[in-house]
Amino acid sequence: MDRRKALKKTGLLAGAAMVAPSFLSIFQSCKQESRLDWQPMFFDENEAKTIAALVDVILPRTDTPGALDVKVDLFIDKVIAMTYVEEAQQAMRSEIATFNANCKQDFGTFFFDLDETDRVAVLEAAEKSSGKFNPGVWGTTVGEQEPIGFYRSMKSMAIWAYFTSEEIGENVLSYDPVPGTYEGCKPVSEVGNRWSL
Amino acid sequence: MKNWLLVYFLLKIVPFLLFRQTNIFVISIFNSYLQPQIAPYMANYNIDAKKEMTYDAIVIGSGISGGWAAKELCEKGLKTLVLERGRIVEHVVDYPTMNLDPWDSELRGGLTPEQKRKHYKAIRSGWIGTDTEHFWADDEANPYTEVKPFLWLRGHQMGGRSLLWGKQTYRWSDLDFEANAKDGHGVDWPIRYKDIEPWYTYVEKFAGISGEPLGLPQLPDSHFLPPMELNCVEKHVKTRIEKDFPGRNMIIGRCAHLTVPHNGRGQCQNRNRCSRGCPFGAYFSSNSVTLPAANATGNLTIRPHSIVQSIVYDDVKGKATGVRIIDAETNEDIVYSAKIIFCNASALGTTQILLNSTSKRFENGLGNDSGELGRNLMDHTYRVGAIGKVEGFDDKYYKGRRPNGIYIPRYWNIDEKTKSDKFLRGFGYQGGGYRGGNPANSEEFGADFKDGILKPGPWEFFITGFAECLPYHENKVTLNTEVLDKWGQPTLSIDAEFKENEKALNKQIQEDAVEMLEKAGLRDVLGFDNEHEMGNGVHEMGTARMGRDPKTSVLNGFNQVHAAKNVFVTDGACMTSSSCVNPSLTYMAITARAAHHAVSELNKLNI
Repeated sequence: MDRRKALKKTGLLAGAAMVAPSFLSIFQSCKQESRLDWQPMFFDENEAKTIAALVDVILPRTDTPGALDVKVDLFIDKVIAMTYVEEAQQAMRSEIATFNANCKQDFGTFFFDLDETDRVAVLEAAEKSSGKFNPGVWGTTVGEQEPIGFYRSMKSMAIWAYFTSEEIGENVLSYDPVPGTYEGCKPVSEVGNRWSL
Repeated sequence: MKNWLLVYFLLKIVPFLLFRQTNIFVISIFNSYLQPQIAPYMANYNIDAKKEMTYDAIVIGSGISGGWAAKELCEKGLKTLVLERGRIVEHVVDYPTMNLDPWDSELRGGLTPEQKRKHYKAIRSGWIGTDTEHFWADDEANPYTEVKPFLWLRGHQMGGRSLLWGKQTYRWSDLDFEANAKDGHGVDWPIRYKDIEPWYTYVEKFAGISGEPLGLPQLPDSHFLPPMELNCVEKHVKTRIEKDFPGRNMIIGRCAHLTVPHNGRGQCQNRNRCSRGCPFGAYFSSNSVTLPAANATGNLTIRPHSIVQSIVYDDVKGKATGVRIIDAETNEDIVYSAKIIFCNASALGTTQILLNSTSKRFENGLGNDSGELGRNLMDHTYRVGAIGKVEGFDDKYYKGRRPNGIYIPRYWNIDEKTKSDKFLRGFGYQGGGYRGGNPANSEEFGADFKDGILKPGPWEFFITGFAECLPYHENKVTLNTEVLDKWGQPTLSIDAEFKENEKALNKQIQEDAVEMLEKAGLRDVLGFDNEHEMGNGVHEMGTARMGRDPKTSVLNGFNQVHAAKNVFVTDGACMTSSSCVNPSLTYMAITARAAHHAVSELNKLNI
C-alpha cells in the first residue's frame, strides 16, 4: 500500500538492503566463531545455526533476497516459541538433534559445519526420504496423508516464512492488496511472479 | 471531502485513534476510507436497555436470521430489543484485521497455545487464524458435550456467524419442500416453494445476490446482480463436464457478494478477506446490511453481553411474556417483556434456550408437546470430492482474489431418469480452479528452486460435495445439567451421526467427482472423503422443526410455536429437511415471511 511505499522511499528500504549483506557476512563468520548475532526465543545456539544453514541452502540469495536476508530463521524460532504447545516444541528439538546426529554419523560434523557440497548431499538424501504433502481444500489436508518428516516440514515452514515476509510479499511477489476487479484469464506475462496474497 | 466522511472521521476514527492500539490498524482503516464506494454507515446503536424493560418484540440473536427479524420488525414500527450474547461489532470500526497483510501480524496467522485452548474444538475446522480468531466463540467458557463427534462452530458477537459465513446463496425448490412427503422420512414441510418464493425475491433484492440464471427446476434462479467470472481453467473444465455428462451443469457460485454497488454498499474488491469484516460492505452480514437498516428506524435497541437463560411463559395468559437474561459481565439476572419473541440464536442455540424454558405448562421445554424439540438434527456432509492438476494453461493467470467458486447443482434423483437405487435425495458440488501447488513438495532446493517457486504454481481444480442429510429422530441434542457453562447454565449434549444414506451419497460424490475430473482431462486426480463427523458443514438444521401436525412438530407453517403462538423460531432450528443446498438464503426468506405474519397477527390481536 502507499503507506509502505512511502516508508520505503524515505529510507527504511535502503536500511533493509544494507542490513542484509552484513547479516550474511556475520552468518558466514559464525562458521568459524560459532556465535549468533541474535537471541533466539526457543532454539539453543546449535539449533539456531542448524535451521539457519538449512533454510540458506533451500532458499539462497540470488538476484532476489534469500531466506536469511528476510530473517526466515528468526521467524521460525518465534513461531515455534509462540505457537507450538510444549510437546510439539520437544518433538522439534529432538528432530533437529536427530538430523544433526545423522550428519555427524555420515559426515563427521553437525549440519552447519559442513561445507556446501556435503550440505547439498544431506538435503538430496533428505528429499528422497521425506514424505510429500497432500493437497489442501479449504484449510485442511485431504486424502490419506503419509508422514512428512522433519526435513520437508521445515522446508515448508521456510517457504511460508519467506513468502509472508514483507520484503518478498510486497516487492518480489506480485502484490495487489485491493485488486478491485477479478480477471479470470490473463497472460502470465502481464502479472509476472506468483501473487503474494 | 464530502461531509459525511469528515463527520465519520471525527466520530469514529478519532476515538479509534485515541483509544485503540496500533498505528497499522488506524492507518489501514483510514486508507480504506480513501477507496471509492465505501458504505458510510453511521450506526450509533442504542445499547441502553436500562430505562426500558418492555418492548413490542424481542429478537434473540443478531446473526443472519436475527438481523432480518430485527429489520422487518423495526421497519413495521415495533419497538424491538435484540439480545446479543456477545459484544457489539460495529461495521468497519470493529474489523481490526480487515486490511492486514500476513507480515502485519506478528505470527502471520499462527495461533498461540492460549488461543488454541480457547478454540480447542473450533480449530478442528481449519478455519481459524489470527485474522478471524476474535470472531469465534470461546469453547472453554461455552462447553458442549459430544456424545458422538460433532463440531459446533459458533460466533458469539453482534452479527454472529454472518461475519464468517461462506456466502453461497441458493434458493430451495419443491424438490426439497416435497422430499419428506415423497419418501416418508421426517414429516412434511407445511410450506411449498410458492409460499416462500415472494420472500426469496424480497430478501434477495435487499441483500444483493450475484449469479447466473440457469432455469433449472431443482435450483430456482434468484434476482441476480451480475455473476462473477469463471477463470480460464474453470471455463475449460465446465465445457468438458457439460459435454461429457449431459444433465450436469457447472456455474459460477451464486453468492451474497455485490458485483455492482447496491443499496448504498460498495461492490466486491476481490480481496477475499471477507471473514475479517468487509470495509466496503460488499458481502451480506447483519453488521453491514440488516442491523443498520433496523437501526435507521429508531426502533432498535440492541443489548450486548446478554445471555438468554429462558423464555418466560405465563401459564395463566397462555403465552410467552418475556425473556430472562444473565448479563455476561455482571451476572445480573434481568427479565425483559415483549408481545412477541423471535428465536434466532442459531439452530442449536435456540433449541438450548427452548429446552431450558420450563414452566408448569411446558415441563420438558417450551413448545415441546411433541417431544420433537432437540430431535432431527441435520447438517450437510462435507469435504468429500476430488482434486487434480490441469495442464495446458501455463501462460494463463488471473488477477484478483475472487471470494467465490464454482457450483455444480444436484443432478441425482431429480426425476425418474436420474433416480438412484443406492440413495435418496442428492448432493451438489462447490469447488474451483486456481494456480497453487505446494512448492515444498518439489524434490529440488537451492537457487533454481527458489527462483522457480516465485513463478505461478501449477493449475489445480477441485470439487467437494454437499449432500443432504435425512432427518433422523435419534439425531438429537439434550440439556446437560452436569456440564455448566461459565454462567452456571446447563449446556447441550449432542448425539448425532451420518447414517447409511449419507454414506451412500458420499460414496457417489467421490466416484462422480473422480470420474468427472478424469474425463475432463485432469492429471493426478485424488479422490477424498475426509469428514465423518457432523457439524463440519456448519449447516446445522432442525431440532425445532416446522410441521403440519402439533403432535409431530414444534412449529407451524409460519414458524410459530404450536402451543405458544407469540414465540417464533426462524433460524436453522425450524428446518424440516436439509436439502443439499446452502440454507442461509432460506433462513432469510423464512424470517422475513414470519416477521410480516407476526406483525399482521399482532395487528389483528391474534397473538
